[in-house]
Amino acid sequence: MKKPVLEAKNIRKSFGDLEVLKSVSLTARAHNVISIIGSSGSGKSTFLRCLNCLELPDEGSLAFAGEEIEFSRRRGKIVKADARQLLALRAQTAMVFQSFNLWSFMTAAENIMLAPQKVLGISRPEARERAEHLLQRVGLYDKRNSYPAQLSGGQSQRVAIARALAMNPKLMLFDEPTSALDPQLVGEVLALMRELAEEGRTMILVTHEMAFAREVSDKVIFLYQGVIEEQGTAKSLFDTPKSARCRAFLRREM
Amino acid sequence: MDFALMWESLPALLHACIMTMELTFISLFVGLILAVPLGLAAARRRGAAAFMAEIYMFVFRGTPLLVQLFLIYGGLAQFDYIRDSFLWPYLRQAFMCALIGFSLNTAAYTANIFKGAILAVPAGELEAARACGFKLWQQYCYIVWPQAFRMALPAYGNEVLIMLKSTSLASVITVMELTGTAKNLYAETYAPYEIFITAAVLYWVMSFILSLLLRFLERRFNKNYRKRKTGRRSLLP
Ligand SMILES: Nc1ncnc2c1ncn2[C@@H]1O[C@H](COP(=O)(O)OP(=O)(O)OP(=O)(O)O)[C@@H](O)[C@H]1O
Ligand SMILES: [Mg+2]
Repeated sequence: MKKPVLEAKNIRKSFGDLEVLKSVSLTARAHNVISIIGSSGSGKSTFLRCLNCLELPDEGSLAFAGEEIEFSRRRGKIVKADARQLLALRAQTAMVFQSFNLWSFMTAAENIMLAPQKVLGISRPEARERAEHLLQRVGLYDKRNSYPAQLSGGQSQRVAIARALAMNPKLMLFDEPTSALDPQLVGEVLALMRELAEEGRTMILVTHEMAFAREVSDKVIFLYQGVIEEQGTAKSLFDTPKSARCRAFLRREM
Repeated sequence: MDFALMWESLPALLHACIMTMELTFISLFVGLILAVPLGLAAARRRGAAAFMAEIYMFVFRGTPLLVQLFLIYGGLAQFDYIRDSFLWPYLRQAFMCALIGFSLNTAAYTANIFKGAILAVPAGELEAARACGFKLWQQYCYIVWPQAFRMALPAYGNEVLIMLKSTSLASVITVMELTGTAKNLYAETYAPYEIFITAAVLYWVMSFILSLLLRFLERRFNKNYRKRKTGRRSLLP
């Protein structure tokens, strides 16, 4: 077995009295595509956001590229992650959001160029070259000087994916990347993500697109009220779900 | 209306415009420098720094500028350690007191504008920056500040024009800027209309030039951003 890119163990997270994640674990190895499914409020986004510490877990452990992230705890609860490790984790883990979150005062090209320059420290001409190459790849080279407000939802999400790719990430996290899109624009984003999966990129995605999850995933995780109710290969989970809740969920979604 | 008198008063009034401009620009400049840390502190919303910034804005926005000027002009002399300090030769000048008062005052208003603009930066854009591995100062430098600055521009433009006209208050503490000079000329000539209309026109010209400058800045920085493909259309008929 290859060394895991990311290993999350027994992640717990509460917001006030609401226990959102109750000991959730996940291992992503190189080239894995893992889908997380579940009904609204089951904790999918929260879990994904714990993986790059946008949300700090309360308990549990996180190891990236074989290196355990050091958490400081107070009374058993995690209060802080090691600053250097945190930046390294985020620099190598790209995230794509449901609402795109492009920087609205920068053009498409500038959006892609910023982080590689400031975080990875590559030169401006090199960053521009990388951005133009990626824009070509996502089919938006002619939009390089457009501002996010001038792009459609599908175009915005493709720029956001290009921005993520520009960091040469070891792991890509997608949080419902097509949920904010008009139905006719979903296809263009899924097509791009399918290409990334076929390229062998390591991806973890939260999605409501069951057909897509089934097609690209090596592993599917069904979350129910903050617990992994069922997990397995795409085929086993979609064709022969064992849990009644998972069956009911799939019946509703498909 | 005595146009000859207006013409005669023009050189003196024009000369006084220089001091009005000095008061405006120097206090705007100092105020801007003070407003950046104040606005950043206030935008944190919690903690001692935010609390102090809020108190500062509360005091300076909650009291009349003229009262602030009187307090600085008359009040500083009450303190022995200020009178004995090497700064006293400067602090006793009315012009300096006006500058200090205007700077502190515009800093409070500008800080409040910055605070609003910083808080208006969409949380998702900051989150994207965090997810890319930006350090905190980088988030401020590359994402928060450029955007807050653009959003603050229209409101700040207002503050610039208000500041220009507020400098007329300096005349009350004997500074001979445009209004003070006009008042003196009026005392010599007893021609209120001629003198004050000329002064008003000069204020208007300065405002006009400043607003052109501000509009140029806004065009320059807020070019395409936020413009929808459909173009800009007024919501009013
Ligand atoms: N910052 C927060 N503060 C308080 N409660 C939160 C916060 N973020 C999420 N929650 C709560 O945690 C629960 C799980 O939220 P989460 O966003 O992870 O669900 P989800 O599975 O992603 O749902 P959806 O499919 O609707 O995106 C919800 O009940 C939500 O209200
Ligand atoms: Mg979600």
